[in-house]
Order: sequence, then C-alpha cells, then structure tokens
Amino acid sequence: MDAFDRMVYDSSVTPAWRPAGRPAGPRAESVCSRLDAFPCEPAVLADLILSPGEREHWNAMPGVEKRRHEWLLGRAAAKEAVRMLLEEKLDLVLSPKEIEIAPDAYGRPRVKYCGAGIHACGGSPDPPSLSIAHSQGTAVALAVLNSCALVGIDLESLTRRREDFEAIAFSPDERRLLAALPPDSRQEWALRMWCAKEAVGKALGRGLSAGLQAFHITRADTASGMIEVELRDGALKQFPQLQGTSLAVSTAREPNFVFSAIIHQQGAVRMRPSRQEILDYLLQKMGELTQDWDYPDPVSPESKLFTELGFESLDAVVLCTAIQEHYQTPMPFAELLAEIGQQQRDLSIDELTDFVNTHLGGPQGADATRRVQ
Amino acid sequence: MPDMTELEVFDKFVQIVAKSLRIDDTSQIALDTHLTDLGAESLDLIEITMETETQFHIFLPDKSILETAVEVFGPGILEKDGYLTEEGKRLLLCRMPEADARSFEGEVVVKDLQHYFLKVGTWVRMIQALVQFTPAECAFCGGPMAPSMGFRMKCAKCGVEITLRSGEEINREWVREYYDKEYRQQTGAPVSAAAVH
Repeated sequence: MDAFDRMVYDSSVTPAWRPAGRPAGPRAESVCSRLDAFPCEPAVLADLILSPGEREHWNAMPGVEKRRHEWLLGRAAAKEAVRMLLEEKLDLVLSPKEIEIAPDAYGRPRVKYCGAGIHACGGSPDPPSLSIAHSQGTAVALAVLNSCALVGIDLESLTRRREDFEAIAFSPDERRLLAALPPDSRQEWALRMWCAKEAVGKALGRGLSAGLQAFHITRADTASGMIEVELRDGALKQFPQLQGTSLAVSTAREPNFVFSAIIHQQGAVRMRPSRQEILDYLLQKMGELTQDWDYPDPVSPESKLFTELGFESLDAVVLCTAIQEHYQTPMPFAELLAEIGQQQRDLSIDELTDFVNTHLGGPQGADATRRVQ
Repeated sequence: MPDMTELEVFDKFVQIVAKSLRIDDTSQIALDTHLTDLGAESLDLIEITMETETQFHIFLPDKSILETAVEVFGPGILEKDGYLTEEGKRLLLCRMPEADARSFEGEVVVKDLQHYFLKVGTWVRMIQALVQFTPAECAFCGGPMAPSMGFRMKCAKCGVEITLRSGEEINREWVREYYDKEYRQQTGAPVSAAAVH
C-alpha cells in the first residue's frame, strides 16, 4: 500500500469515524450467549429454566412447533447471558428460573427477578438490559449491566432471500450505498444493513414499527463491519433525544448467518487510554470471556487467540464488539481478521493491543498499522 | 385475475407462505392463523409481500388501512393516545366486516391491531380485493395481459402497457369516500385538507 492509499485508508477508517472528543459512555459490561441446538429435550429444558409465569406462557403459546422451540431456545440463551453477567459482575448467583424474562408493553424483553434467591443476596440490583434474536434453530442474546443502555442484537440466515428485497427494504440512498460495494458481497451487505436496522429497532424497543425508512443507514464500513444508522421521521418522534446521533451497529458474518449488535449508552467524554491500559483491559476482557475454558496456562499478552485460546469466529466478533463499545470507536476488525485468515496465522493479545492502540490514535500507530496491512 | 374466489386466493397464498417459512404441513395454515404464529419475522413478511405481489400481479399497500385513514382524517380522530377511538372502531368495522366486533369492545390499543393485520384471513381478503384491479384482458384490444417490468402489465397482443394501481392509492380512495359519505355527513366535520387532495 503506497502513501496515498494509506491516506485514503486512514481517512476512511479513522478520523471520520472518530471525531475528536466524541462522547463515549461508561464501559459496556456485557455478556453475549449463543445456542445452536437444544442442550436437552425442549420439554425438559422448559422444566429446568422457565419461571412459573414463563411456563404458563409457554404452555399457552400458540403457533407451530418451530416457533415455540425458537422462543424457548431464545429464552435459554437470554437467561444464560443474564446469569453469567450477574455472576461475573455482581457476584450474584441466580438460577435460570429466578431470572424471568417478560415482554414490556412494546414487546421488548425485560428482566425481572423472581423467587427467593435475589432476596437472599441482600437487595436486588437494577435488572440488566437485554436483547434476544433467533433464526433457523440458532438463538443469541446480549445482556448489558447498565439497565438504561439501549441494547439490540439480531441475526438472519444467509440462505435464500429474494435479491429484489432491497427494493422494499432500502431507500434510494441506501441502495446507492449498496451499489458502491463489490457485487459479490452485495447480498451479504444488504442483509447486514437489514440486521443493523433490526438491532436498532430492538434497542429502541419499538422494533421497526416506525417504518423501514425511519432507520436510515448513513454509512456502511466494510473494513470494520460497522454500520451507522440515523433515526428519521417516526422513529425520531419516538426518540427526539437521539436527533443528530449516529447509532453505530457492529455487524459480522459467518458462513450461514449475519449478526448485528448495538449497545448505546449516553455518557461523558473519555480520555484516550495508554497502550498499557488497553492491554490491561484486553487481558481482563479475555479473562471474562474464557473463564470457563480451562487452559493449562494463564492468559498472557503472548497468548494466541485461535490456536491457544480456542477462539471461534463468533468469539472474535463478541470480543471485537466489546472492544469497540468499550472505546466507543469503530475499528476495522473485519479486515484484520480477514488478513490473518488469508495469511493463515494467529493473533496474539499483544498484536491486538497494538491494533486497538493504532485505531485509538496511539503513538505506536504507524508500526501497528503496517503490521495489519 | 379479477375474479378469484376467496378459496382460490387462500390456496395460492398458503403455498407462498409455506414456501417462504419452509412449512411442509400446510394444514397448519388456516384463515385465522397469524403469520407470526407460523414463525414469520420481519424479513419473512417482506418476502411474503413480494412473492404475493409477483404471483397475484398486485401492488400491496405499505401502510395498514388505519395508518392511511389517520393521514386522511388528521390526528386525534381515529386514534388518541395510542388507543382506537369510537370513530376509529367504526371505520375498521366498516372496512373489515369480517372482523370480530367483540375484539373492538372496550379499550383497543392501536399497536395490538398489528396482530390482526397479520392474520392469514386479513391478507387473503386484501389480496382478493386488490386482484380486481388487475385486468386480465387488454382494455383496448381484448388481448391477454401479462406481467411486465415493475408494477406493470403488458398486453400480449397489442403491446399496450398499463401501471398497476397501488394498494395504498386504492385504500386512500376508499378512506376518502368513507370520510365523505360516512363520517362528514354524520358529524358535519369540515372537508379535511388531506381528504380533498
């Protein structure tokens, strides 16, 4: 890459994304969980995890079996995410039955504590924010400690889809964004953009009820997988405080699915962290993500994500999303991951630290940038 | 296909829904089934919408009849603070005589109506109403009409092309007529700006 290309590259991934003094919220303390199959017979699972209220709902739930099963799988993933979050962050150990998830008036899932467990722990904390998505036998859930955070997660299957769905789903401006992408990735990005809208709709708790055009995509960055969504018309009427705010949604793809996630929290301006602080944060985050994974050696700066720590692509996505949320800065992770994939090499936590440091404008930037190019 | 029976429309629509949602056993789909109970999500609904438009040669409305009516009537008449008003209930019952009047008793939350609009029967009747506006024969030469690009039909014989009327335009026309005949005359309300334009 020559200097001009690098300039173009840098301007596309750094300053425009991260205007100086961009307000950043307090760190997002979150847990994401995923289930690709039932861990046991659905009826047994229902017995094990549902609260009495949820059981009643499950028993009376109309619809075909596929829908009932996906609902249950979604509940299982959500309870797991909430349970792990409470345990990790608050040392609060609850059983899945004590974490009741009921829709609010608009259908957004809300966490409610029930049973005796919560009282035994001496006072109940604000319930975490939660979002659940399921499709084609896979369920994901994202729980965030800050009960005021706007949290949305979505996944869609990449199989079938009429290509002309773009005409209904997107505005002319959005279709122009799509048209500028390489033709072979267009379908994937159409689905990523769709997922991004869904995640924002879920984060705001009203779904896409304000209309598809009310969630306007202003930017899709193929390097980082970030998609920016602005509210318009009906959605802006519902949430006037988000006027002029770009909502950054992380997206990622696997062979069969496209995922999207947003954690939006309002907060104070954050100082740029030092390299050591970034490394400390990454080590801590890695510790949280992998605490049940049983490694022979402790996680260190030299640990390699994929071969030594046993990371899979969703784990990398969750980590990348957490990093970007923590620093409130989109970074071209997709490009980084694609590059190490092509070179068939691994990534150490040290290298990841350099990468993050570069994209937060740190002094070691030049070296690290070269390394990932 | 202007003269399709409800059963013909239903059978064809069931095939579209079953294919889109990958349901093998179509006996699970009845007129009072809700698409969401079949597992349909928003992207599926878009797909079902497009497939329905393609197969029936119609142009489905983007908005529900209530949304269009609220635009014509102006705010606060059909719905207020998220609830359906008596006037709103009257309009919906007039538009959808098959609707269960009991479901409009007491307070009706507008967003709950979404559920009603996702009933298979509601779709079937909407499709049946719209196919009447899709000509089977050319108005000029009587030749057979075939689908063309976009929402257009072309005469296979003389080549004349027509644009299909959109469901929204047809809905709006119905609402304006309702406003004039049913609402304005009874209540003496002024001609609404939206209604005349």
